[in-house]
Amino acid sequence: MEAGVVTMIRLENLTKSYPSKMGPQYIFRNLNFDFPTENNVAILGKNGAGKSTLFRMLAKSEYPDRGRVLTNKSMSWPVALQTGIHPQMTGRENTRFIGRINNVVSLPEYEARVQEFAELGNRFDLPVRTYSSGMRAKLVFACCMNIDFDIYLIDEATSVGDPLFRKKARASLKEKSKDAGVIMVSHELEQIREFCTSAVIIDDGSLTYFEDLEEGIDVYTQDATNKKSLK
Amino acid sequence: MVTFKEQIYAWRSVVFALFLRELQSKFNDKFGLGWAFLEPFAFIFALSYLRGLISGGDIHSIPLFIFMMIGMVGLQSMTTCLQSVSTSVRRNKPLYAFRQVQPISAIISAGFLEFSVKVVVVGLLCLALFVMNETFIVHDPLLLIFLFLMLWVFSISIGLMFAIAAAFVPEVDKIKSMLTRPLMFISCVFFSLQDLPEEFWPYLTWNPLVHFNELARYACFESYGHKGVSLSFIIEVTVGLLFLSLSMYHITWKRVLSR
Repeated sequence: MEAGVVTMIRLENLTKSYPSKMGPQYIFRNLNFDFPTENNVAILGKNGAGKSTLFRMLAKSEYPDRGRVLTNKSMSWPVALQTGIHPQMTGRENTRFIGRINNVVSLPEYEARVQEFAELGNRFDLPVRTYSSGMRAKLVFACCMNIDFDIYLIDEATSVGDPLFRKKARASLKEKSKDAGVIMVSHELEQIREFCTSAVIIDDGSLTYFEDLEEGIDVYTQDATNKKSLK
Repeated sequence: MVTFKEQIYAWRSVVFALFLRELQSKFNDKFGLGWAFLEPFAFIFALSYLRGLISGGDIHSIPLFIFMMIGMVGLQSMTTCLQSVSTSVRRNKPLYAFRQVQPISAIISAGFLEFSVKVVVVGLLCLALFVMNETFIVHDPLLLIFLFLMLWVFSISIGLMFAIAAAFVPEVDKIKSMLTRPLMFISCVFFSLQDLPEEFWPYLTWNPLVHFNELARYACFESYGHKGVSLSFIIEVTVGLLFLSLSMYHITWKRVLSR
């Protein structure tokens, strides 16, 4: 694509279903949508509305039945609790694995930065199964933040960290958002307010973009009847 | 635009990372990596040695110990590779969150790991033969190496098919273990095809493992002969299975991801 054009993630004719005993369950049918990426976006929606599915399709860890996701940006993997972390391996080995598959320029440097960011001290060299869930989240988050992506996909991962770490995470996301975007899925509105500036609401297989986060949250928190009339 | 070379490079680094991960997670107990080699070595060695003790002598000009060993290596390479490859797709499931990691990378790294383990095991067995003063001159080393590589491709292809099938129908795993069990008895591991009357051969020669084992013995000892088995059958079956499994993979891999 040419430079200067506002870049987006374009969903073209997206259809996604999951097989079930009662036939395929459609999450999206022929969805067309331009996903904005210039600011930090929150994906809001009820349980089962397809937030995580959309999220995973954006990250290309899952593929739609039909249609495609077009983008010219490099995207992180969906950073959720424990993605790609092997409990039997040490934090360092896990870090090196993630660094390797993402082709970081210098593994030792990457390793050192993750170790510092994750604040695990010398427990970095212990197997991950000895970590608490907060420590795991820190490790995953640190691994992701130290690779340069255009868009970071964050899935409730940061919510478990302690307040100090969350502050640091927010600072680094702010820092990144100068030239990168963040797409985030979370149920906790507090957290979304911390990180995001706009919202996309999923309802019944269709997406609506709200440039103002508060407007989006308002719509999201209102009950179903109101939501329908607003649309 | 990503060039083909870059893509190959990225792919290689993923397979390498998975390979190391498999090594680190599989063998991080006290025995370490040594166990991977010692266990199959001890198994093959003990079984062949015991068989040699029970009734020594030669089978169609091959010392019984070596005869048995060749059969066991063939069978073991096939079954362990099949087991490891067919479960690798599910084992690495959490990693498909990274879009660089695709099921085929898991298949390749699992197959490659099994293959390298077996190479070392064969090396250990050769060393044992040397120590026991049972050395012999391999009649056709090229054929032997070719057979080993073919067996590897053959096992990975079957493993891939089972892995895909198990992703859709989990019960396939149970059938698989039921199917692999009799292989020990019908693959000419501890008897020779030539021990049987010729009219029974068709009941056994559909099985490519019979051809692998018998031809491997022929590759080691020319005098053993290669009656009833053919290299072209092996090649046809292997190439056929390879293409079948790859095309199965090609049409299903995206759906395997969301399973």
